[in-house]
Amino acid sequence: MTLNTDMQVNRIDDYLWEIPPSEKAGMLVPARIYASSAILGAMDRGVFDQVTNVACLPGIHRYALCMPDGHWGYGFPIGGVAAFDPEDGIISPGGVGYDINCGMRLIRTDLTLSEVQPKLELLMTELFRRVPAGVGSRGFVNMTRREFREVMRQGAGWCIARGYGWAEDLERIEERGCLEGADPAHVTDYAIERGINQLGTLGSGNHYLEVQVVSDKHLFDREPAAAMGLTGRDQIVVMVHCGSRGFGHQVASDYLKVFEKAMRRYGISVKDQQLACAPFRSPEGQDYFGAMNCAANTAFANRQVITHQIREAFAAVFDSTPHALGMQLIYDVAHNIAKVERYGDREWLVHRKGATRAFGPGSPELPDCYRAIGQPVICGGSMETGSYLLVGTNRAMHDTFGSTMHGSGRTMSRAQAKRTVRGEQLLRDMKQHGILVKAVSMSGLAEEAGLAYKNISEVVHTVDQAGITKKVAELKPIGNIKG
Amino acid sequence: MPGTFRFLDEIAVADMAFEAEGDSLPALFDAATQALIESLANPATVAQTWQQTVNMEEPDVDTLLFEWLNRLVYLKDAQAVVFHHATLALHATPDRSAWHLHAELVGAPVDQTTQDLRSDVKGVTKHLYAVTQTGTSWKARVVLDV
Repeated sequence: MTLNTDMQVNRIDDYLWEIPPSEKAGMLVPARIYASSAILGAMDRGVFDQVTNVACLPGIHRYALCMPDGHWGYGFPIGGVAAFDPEDGIISPGGVGYDINCGMRLIRTDLTLSEVQPKLELLMTELFRRVPAGVGSRGFVNMTRREFREVMRQGAGWCIARGYGWAEDLERIEERGCLEGADPAHVTDYAIERGINQLGTLGSGNHYLEVQVVSDKHLFDREPAAAMGLTGRDQIVVMVHCGSRGFGHQVASDYLKVFEKAMRRYGISVKDQQLACAPFRSPEGQDYFGAMNCAANTAFANRQVITHQIREAFAAVFDSTPHALGMQLIYDVAHNIAKVERYGDREWLVHRKGATRAFGPGSPELPDCYRAIGQPVICGGSMETGSYLLVGTNRAMHDTFGSTMHGSGRTMSRAQAKRTVRGEQLLRDMKQHGILVKAVSMSGLAEEAGLAYKNISEVVHTVDQAGITKKVAELKPIGNIKG
Repeated sequence: MPGTFRFLDEIAVADMAFEAEGDSLPALFDAATQALIESLANPATVAQTWQQTVNMEEPDVDTLLFEWLNRLVYLKDAQAVVFHHATLALHATPDRSAWHLHAELVGAPVDQTTQDLRSDVKGVTKHLYAVTQTGTSWKARVVLDV
């Protein structure tokens, strides 16, 4: 097998590969990549370079990991997972990503495809109207700076207290939609000015809102599916992929500058400027953690407001109420985050960048409704091919710091995708295939064509076979909103 | 001679990258600014109803270009605008210990019904970021997070 690296990559089993510390000066632990042979062979050189760079960071524990949807990223690869000793390890914005708490949310309904199909055009138009997307879009929630700071502290709970959601939503959000330790004092005015008008907006790039269908043939495991309120029978669900928007990006940019200087002070050198970091317990590390938690909570709030708008849109189109339509939240999970988590008798600072928490059955962090089945894991695919719902496993708790994949991962650049397919043609082709798309930007739409992504089924098969998450259902798109 | 720019294909698979060049430093700044403006929206579809003056000072040209491009991204979000053009004036202190940029930015509030909007650029990154000089020619490579 030819790989895009000169480093030695040892096979652990059919779905796990290891690069030993001897392959790069400074590696403190091995780097491990979850992949089938085919996926590993197609991985870009950046994955191998970057996951081994991560393995050099101070305080790293056991392994630097990369999931099968991995590809080149800033600092960490996308799909990167690493745990650090909170006492003498580092925290790195490059291990979280610019879009802090970019994540996925899935909402169920009692509606079926046959009920939605006749009103799909109306529904997508209503969703497109209520959930702003694209360059410079602004949300409907007007806030003072004081209120925005409360959003940073309270996350999704702030929204629910104001009627944008249901009280029971909170237990179905990672960390109940609010990370402790958010400190707005460490957020710059620039970040506040970028974010204060963006609550309830999707953004652009690979972010989307998608109406999907779960058919019987795509339901792989009925017990966890039933616990999540999924029965198959062409049931309609709604998926949201977005994060902390410009606010989170500004926090990341601000602290990359702070950390570049801090590294000199603490005598830390890194293999890549985008891995700028500081000791977690240092003033700079704690300031970033406080600001990052603000951005993470704002992202939870963003997805909560969008959920409110989705429920209102469905209620308007189907002349009903969200409760009568059975629009319960299935789950909301982050895939760009750093959190202190307990494994056994120790706490570790786990960075997930383009990787999803996947806690197994019995985890005390899970709500009662999911404790027996494991945490729901929502993995978004391309808008043409569909997405997956999985559950976390105890193997993930042992092997990957309770982590798994987050999506399908790109294989083609945005520029190449735009040269290969035109947005207008893609819109028509997808409509012919039963997927109605509403997009702000035709060039942005072309960039997200299915051909630009890995085959998500292959990626999901890898994590399923590796045992770090188990497949529950495949979700097929019928309507998509893009910025 | 005005500067030029081109988008780079394979540097950032999930994002965008461009290379700008000019036969002078002001030409380089003009070209890089134009690349970012055109990443956000087709400027031909953006009216000239919004204006802002920006003054910035940094210790070197690399930092000044990086911070200027990031300022454009900030203004796009904070004021919900896209840009038609920018007029730039660049000068250094006599000992070249500081570089100053004076910019007159012209554009319009975002309007999805009339503007050809493109990528919602979220940040300028340090990944492979470089400003280089060969003789009197200047070149910059910039990766944008989208």
